[in-house]
Amino acid sequence: MEATADLLLQGEKAKITGLEDGQFSQKLAEMGCVPGTEIIRLYQSSRGSCIAYRIDTYLLGLRKEEARMIKVMPFVPDPLPENTV
Amino acid sequence: MKATRSFSMVGNPNCGKSNLFNRLTGLTQKISNLPGTTVEACSGSFSIDKEKYSIQDLPGIYSLFTKTEDERLVVEHLIGKGANKPDAILFVIDASNLRRNLLLFSQVSELGIPTACVLTMEDTAIRRGIEIKLPELEMALGVPCVFFNPRKEKNTDTVREILKQPRAPKLFGSDTDLLNRLLLYSKGKTIAGLSEETLRRYIDIEKIIKQTTIKHPVGVKSLTLKIDRWVTHKIGGYAIFGIIMMALFQGVFSLATKPMEWITNCFHWISRGIEDILPAGMVSNFITHGLLVGLEGVLVFVPQIFILFFLIGLLEDTGYMVRASFITDRLMQKVGLNGRSIIPMVGGFACAIPSIMATRNIKSKSERLATMLIIPLMSCSARLPVYVLLVSVAIPFKQFWGPFHAQSLVITSAYMSGITLALLLALAFRLLKRKQTQSEFILELPTYQKPRLQTVLQQAWLKCVSFISEAGKVIIVISMILWFLSNFGPSESMKRAKDEGAILSQLDSNHASEICTNLRLEASYAGHLGKFMEPAIEPLGYDWKTGIALITSFAAREVFVGTMATLFQSDKDKPSGIIEKMQAEKNPSTGKPLYGLPYALSLIIFYAFALQCMSTMAVIKRETESWKWPIVLFFAYGLIAYLGAYFVFQLSTLIQ
Repeated sequence: MEATADLLLQGEKAKITGLEDGQFSQKLAEMGCVPGTEIIRLYQSSRGSCIAYRIDTYLLGLRKEEARMIKVMPFVPDPLPENTV
Repeated sequence: MKATRSFSMVGNPNCGKSNLFNRLTGLTQKISNLPGTTVEACSGSFSIDKEKYSIQDLPGIYSLFTKTEDERLVVEHLIGKGANKPDAILFVIDASNLRRNLLLFSQVSELGIPTACVLTMEDTAIRRGIEIKLPELEMALGVPCVFFNPRKEKNTDTVREILKQPRAPKLFGSDTDLLNRLLLYSKGKTIAGLSEETLRRYIDIEKIIKQTTIKHPVGVKSLTLKIDRWVTHKIGGYAIFGIIMMALFQGVFSLATKPMEWITNCFHWISRGIEDILPAGMVSNFITHGLLVGLEGVLVFVPQIFILFFLIGLLEDTGYMVRASFITDRLMQKVGLNGRSIIPMVGGFACAIPSIMATRNIKSKSERLATMLIIPLMSCSARLPVYVLLVSVAIPFKQFWGPFHAQSLVITSAYMSGITLALLLALAFRLLKRKQTQSEFILELPTYQKPRLQTVLQQAWLKCVSFISEAGKVIIVISMILWFLSNFGPSESMKRAKDEGAILSQLDSNHASEICTNLRLEASYAGHLGKFMEPAIEPLGYDWKTGIALITSFAAREVFVGTMATLFQSDKDKPSGIIEKMQAEKNPSTGKPLYGLPYALSLIIFYAFALQCMSTMAVIKRETESWKWPIVLFFAYGLIAYLGAYFVFQLSTLIQ
């Protein structure tokens, strides 16, 4: 069940699975949006045009269109003990 | 003493670089351009074992492949384009954010420059449950590393220790051709496979993180999130932004009043002293009315500029300004700007010059240009004295229009008309320009932190010094030219003015010097210029004296007040003098006050729109690398100002 980051609900946690190819994928990758990283949707500006996420350990503000480029897998509790990264 | 080795500081934005720089260099720092470029950077020095080292604080970057102007020039500095490649790098890593910081490290490591590494924010990392094993990290990176908290620790011995022996980092990326690709990239070529490469780097970094850190489970409670809930609230967020902006202006105007008075008084004292010491004549007149007036025109604004930079610096240092960008991005995007534009636009209320330079971190070229072009429409601190003089002349202090205090209402409207025109022009600019460069808004929202007063004060001061030297040169030169123009004239008319003055002053000996000065001014080149202009500015409600003041204030707007004061020969110590004299002037044909409400409104609109600032034009030329935009803006804003003033004057004359 793959989705994009803009579809996450407020407070929902997910894991990044990849980036859509496009203008800003390089920039997003540099900012730490890489596969395997945890992403949580936090808050948004009026009408949801900009959305703030926690990525790994820091906060990142994105436009909705940019968030749409981040492919995510909504977080399902892992049956195995979590990897100590 | 020549520096033994030069360091450049490299790191992500918000990693604590500038604080560390402050701790290391103390009071030795100054702002200068990076060699061979126009990027301003702080430089300073420190010593280890009596040897002197120079160090340069560079703007924070996330990656070497970057598009903003500031960042690109940092990269050019590091790869030695321009001049003076640094001998060594002091790399600063935010320990709470190791993964992303190591991406930049992995790129920089391939430049082969000896490096030493300082890890900041260890406390935040521990709070987030991250423990870093320093010896392992040193091994993995191949460079000496140390923890240091520049916010709390004062003693930099541990940092100096590792700076003694920077080493070339171990290569852990798989890129062998980075330098060439960087060069291609900086020439605007697209590089294939960049994001794949970034992902590959992250895989290597992940290995290092596994080897060098231990993750402890912790519950995350964050004050930042709580504050953000308020400041990014869809209604409350704008209200808070509005309140902060109002407080900012109140602060600037109320705090700066006293120091501005001191500076003015100080200059009066100096010029009196010079008049006493030197014999009356050309030299004394030139120093007191040419040179000193010009210097005063620059220095009197330093308190306002300093306070504004300080307060904006505080807002930036706490992390608030980024949130302001976050909430305003939507509106800004609609008119072809970017959320990032809000920071330079707010700064434009103080002074356009540094604000235009601050547009450098807007990535999209068209958005950056649009922001730069509308900044001169933000009513800067130099317009304020003009507004204040004009409303004081035309509107009684106690007058109310409905519930509003009339004087404040007019000044507020002047600010609002500037902002409105700015947004409209940005929109027009967007519609005119068919091809848009891609716009983006990917912005880190840093954790809120208590601002470091010392750092912010020092930065504000350094910016003031840079303002004085940059704008000062232009203003002083222009005021000297003006002195010449208003003291010399065609010899025939000057002689006639002298004779006439001699006769008239015999008739009215009380006002002898006033009459002579007035006649001399009218006969001078400046007077001729004013008379020559009169037909053009008459429809706006201005007389030839206003014409002269308009010309003189092209150097700097506030010169208007000084010029009017000279023209009316009032005592500058008593500003009420000039106000009363202007109020007393009558229009010879109608008998109504010459400087009434229509005049004031028309002139305020003219000042709100017209680009009367040499320094702004110079800085736009520097930033756009062509004279095209300053010239286009000069005429376009001049035309808009003329038409606006004409419209306002005719309309308000009709109503009156």
